[in-house]
Amino acid sequence: MINAFLVFNGQGQPRLTKFYTQLDTSIQQRLISEIFTLVSNRAPGSCNFLPLPPLLAASSTSNTSSSAQEQNDVPSLVTYRNYATLYFIVISTSTESPLALIDLIQVYVEALDRLFENVCELDLIFNYETLHATLGEMVVGGVVIETNMERIVAGVKAQGTVAKRPVNEGRSGGGLGGGLGAGLGMGGMVWPGTR
Amino acid sequence: MFEKSLYDLIRGLRNHKGHEKEYIQTSLKECRSEIRSQDMDVKATALLKLVYLEMLGHDMSWASFHVLEVMSSQKYHQKRVGYLAAVQSFRPDTDVLMMATNLLKKDVAASLPIIISLPINALPHVVTPSLAMSLLGDLLPRLSHSHAAIRKKTVVTLYRLALVYPEALRASWPKIKERLMDPDEDSSVTAAIVNVVCELGWRRPHDFLPLAPRLFELLVDGGNNWMAIKLIKLFATLTPLEPRLVRKLLPPLTNLIRTTPAMSLLYECINGIIQGGILGDGEDFSAREEVASLCVTKLRGMVSASSDPNLKYVALLAFNRIVVTHPFLVAQQEDVILECIDSEDISIRIKALDLVQGMVSSDNLVTIVGRLMRQLKASSATINHQHNGGEAQGPETDSSDEGSAAPRRHRKTQDGASPLPDNYTVDVIGRILTMCSQNNYANIVDFDWFIDVLTQLLRVAPAPRAKDLDPGLSPSKAPGDISEKIGNELRNVAVKVKAIRSVSVRAAELVISRMGSEISFSQPVVSGALKPIAWVLGEYAPQLLSPDDTMRHLLDLVPRVDGPEVLATCLQAVLKLFAHVSGDDQALWTSERKSTVSLLMARIIHVLEPFASHPYLEVQERAVEFIELLKLTAEAAAGQATSTDEVQQDPPLLLTQAIPSLFAGWELNSVAAGTQQNVPVPDDLDLDEPIHPNLNSLLAQADSLMLPVQGNDEFESYYNEKAPATSMSSEPAIKRLVEAPEEVSTSYQQSEESYLDPDIVARRKAERMERYRDDPFYIPDATASGGRSTPIHNILQKENGPGLDIDSIPIMQLDLSGRASPAQSQVQQQQQQQQQQQQQRPRPRPSQRIVVAADETLGGSGLSTPRTTTYDSENNTGSEPSLSLATAKSKKLKQQSLLQITSSHLSDLALGEEGGGAGQPGGGGGPLAHERQQREEAEMALALKEVQRLRLEMQRANERIQVAQGVPVEGVVVKKKKKKKKGKRVVHLDEGEGQ
Repeated sequence: MINAFLVFNGQGQPRLTKFYTQLDTSIQQRLISEIFTLVSNRAPGSCNFLPLPPLLAASSTSNTSSSAQEQNDVPSLVTYRNYATLYFIVISTSTESPLALIDLIQVYVEALDRLFENVCELDLIFNYETLHATLGEMVVGGVVIETNMERIVAGVKAQGTVAKRPVNEGRSGGGLGGGLGAGLGMGGMVWPGTR
Repeated sequence: MFEKSLYDLIRGLRNHKGHEKEYIQTSLKECRSEIRSQDMDVKATALLKLVYLEMLGHDMSWASFHVLEVMSSQKYHQKRVGYLAAVQSFRPDTDVLMMATNLLKKDVAASLPIIISLPINALPHVVTPSLAMSLLGDLLPRLSHSHAAIRKKTVVTLYRLALVYPEALRASWPKIKERLMDPDEDSSVTAAIVNVVCELGWRRPHDFLPLAPRLFELLVDGGNNWMAIKLIKLFATLTPLEPRLVRKLLPPLTNLIRTTPAMSLLYECINGIIQGGILGDGEDFSAREEVASLCVTKLRGMVSASSDPNLKYVALLAFNRIVVTHPFLVAQQEDVILECIDSEDISIRIKALDLVQGMVSSDNLVTIVGRLMRQLKASSATINHQHNGGEAQGPETDSSDEGSAAPRRHRKTQDGASPLPDNYTVDVIGRILTMCSQNNYANIVDFDWFIDVLTQLLRVAPAPRAKDLDPGLSPSKAPGDISEKIGNELRNVAVKVKAIRSVSVRAAELVISRMGSEISFSQPVVSGALKPIAWVLGEYAPQLLSPDDTMRHLLDLVPRVDGPEVLATCLQAVLKLFAHVSGDDQALWTSERKSTVSLLMARIIHVLEPFASHPYLEVQERAVEFIELLKLTAEAAAGQATSTDEVQQDPPLLLTQAIPSLFAGWELNSVAAGTQQNVPVPDDLDLDEPIHPNLNSLLAQADSLMLPVQGNDEFESYYNEKAPATSMSSEPAIKRLVEAPEEVSTSYQQSEESYLDPDIVARRKAERMERYRDDPFYIPDATASGGRSTPIHNILQKENGPGLDIDSIPIMQLDLSGRASPAQSQVQQQQQQQQQQQQQRPRPRPSQRIVVAADETLGGSGLSTPRTTTYDSENNTGSEPSLSLATAKSKKLKQQSLLQITSSHLSDLALGEEGGGAGQPGGGGGPLAHERQQREEAEMALALKEVQRLRLEMQRANERIQVAQGVPVEGVVVKKKKKKKKGKRVVHLDEGEGQ
């Protein structure tokens, strides 16, 4: 199952945090910064999987003696994808398929792109409620419930109109702009996706 | 007052670059007052802002009550904010949730789907067992809601409910199953159910076997890759229970492997085939063989160099699973896997390391460790390079002529690429140690090399991190840093491998001198390696090269030692060293010696004195003991006249006899963990009996005891008797042991210069020269080409005559056993060769025997028992190991991974399906708890009604009386009535929903 879904930008500022367990705010922040450190040190051309951050590794290695079965409950996989200025991270257990998770992130980003029409980081900053709503249409309680783009978009739209980015807050605003769209059109898929 | 919207807040944040902190603080303050507003819009906006700030790390747990207020709003967009805030900010200790039960019930029963979605989406985040219990009845009907979106979300939410309240699953399973079986069900609901079943499947595979036909159908006709992946994962857990499934599954899976364009599905097919044990042997051998080779070739293709890094990673993941059941299949891929150790990508490296750890043998250990050492050295060189302020010619230019790894490393340094993270370094070092030491050092053929590796590791080991981690979070990390583990290995080798002890001791000497010189005087010594190193130095002092220098270094270090256990060991080592340095009873007691010894004693006493009042008892006791002993000795030494040319004077006996005898009793051997518990208590030993019948008077005497003038003799005899006495307890253990030495021999090795520091290599060469100087078969090579001068070399030389070009012989392929006895026929040789290949360990060659002492055990077979075996063995009745095991277990239970959601409760739950139809759960087993609860609630409602009726009657009677008496007390009574009625209504609602 999925234990957490995170989005942060190139400076490590969180844009979406969704933990499927209850976690102290301070520990959440520490985990985010640990993952950010890992992610920002990736060499170009590395794979989309991260080694476990210390916070998670500490607890999972101490459990190695327990039966292989118990291992299925332990978060053991950190998958990430980078789009323009943003990093999307999924922390999951071994019952998820690693390659499918890469595709799941892609679905999420494409859904956002459909909702915002050429999405960029600014859209996500100002409409983080929509981020949550979109994720809520795909994952509930750590279990994937929908991977079909049309249904996801329809589900979010049913909850009300999606606000557009503020007009006077241009794409260049604050230097945070830069469309995600560029990373979307081609999909950046190396292999034919799960979909 | 004008309130900020979320939009204003974010804009404000962006406009206050550099001083966001103050801005956030003022915003938080504003939110605090706005959230108390009566206006729901203001309240909701403030909450939305708080949730945004919470994402940035600002606690909002104080607002939990306001979250409830907003959740109960009538307007959807406000309600949504409330639910979002609950999901994001409620923690296990948030207690307002109790008040939300009715609200949640109401929203789950709402008519608008978007409102139903809110509590269903939020419940998994906030659910508690009691909440789950009271909401179960409201959620179940949602499984047949007309909207597919509601149905699929409800399925998942019920699963999350079941994780904290297993009964939920029992109550909902029949309905979920019905949905799954329904061919007309919406495909995304089916997919969601499959996802949930996949999560449940590995926990209770038996319960899902009856579903296999339907699942199979979905796999074949589903046409949904996401679902197919989950189905395959599920089948992988089912096949071990139902072997007949294998035959059914093989054709579609093979077909998928051959045809699917989706790499993720292909990968999961392979993974499922392997994990499901479909590769195992059985009838229909050829088909399986075909599948096996198909899978492994595909995986091999994924790992190989040119492949996509993601595929590399997942293929390694798959190999990591295969290696458990089919190690031989993985061993065949050793070449490509080893390549991954040197990958740029740390994730891939770590996964490859996981694998390699299980693949080491004496043949490849040196190669593997060599690769890792090269990485470590390059990384530490990068760190040094960064510290030194960017001088491009770092230490590693020394080794840049070492082949293919060097150029890349060099580039890395110049790029200023970040060095390996500390925890990775620690991880790698830990793995190196495990690989080398496993099975009692079975894989090590050359201990010289191992000791060099350890010495080098101590230099690259990162300093222990400050213990800033919560102790509760990672107690496993607290004891001992990695350098202590390295030091422990060095000590173990010194203890266990006698043949190489002098080398180990010299390595320890080197380490301590480096420590003494490198750490500045003001800093405390934190390296955990000091403890085992000091122990080695003290215990094997006679083998030291320069005991005086070592003594000096140790004395320099002692005052700065951090950590009482280390200190205690160091103090012991100081005295052991002193005993060796000054305890020579052959040398004459010259005035020179007298003054040296006196000075040394004064120095030691000076160092020890501060510890006489150390808070840690072990340190204090040793310090006091040694100070007193040394003071006595100093007196004796001062009183002893020195020898002149005419008169020969012996040194004081206290110095030459008494003190050395304290430490020269029995040789210490390694004892398997837990063995001490097995030492039988002698029959004639009564632990309750006082040691001395007259202990008290003895102690009283001691106070008034005056030291006799010629106390030396008495003192000496006292200690001479004492020494054997202390070793009494270990005597039976030693005597009963059947030594089962393991013989290993040296072998060819590669250029370790690339990862060892130059000085270590130089020392190594010098030692080797020394050792082989008297060896008639050893021809010292003038070019000093290093690492080649092993016994094999000698054998070759002997067998082939000096005229042969040795370097042209492919040494790795030599049949050594054949060479040792050339009379054997070729067939035999081949057979032996095969045997050798099959064996993990090469046969001991007679040329050099290195005996690795096994851990001493008791009660076992007496063979070299690995530590764990004794530890876990059933006959281990000792209380301590079992106790520690128990504590370990309880710790395990308590200590969960951060994000972990335990599903272990589910394993105790049986989905009673054996009985009646799935649709009528009551038919089969006993009444289900959920129904029982409903029935109880109904009974309770009836009872309440009855109570109420009675109370009303009593009230009326009362009123009549009161009216009669003229006292108006209606207010109180009416209030009570209202409250009661409310409770009743809720109960009724429950009943209605449950049916």
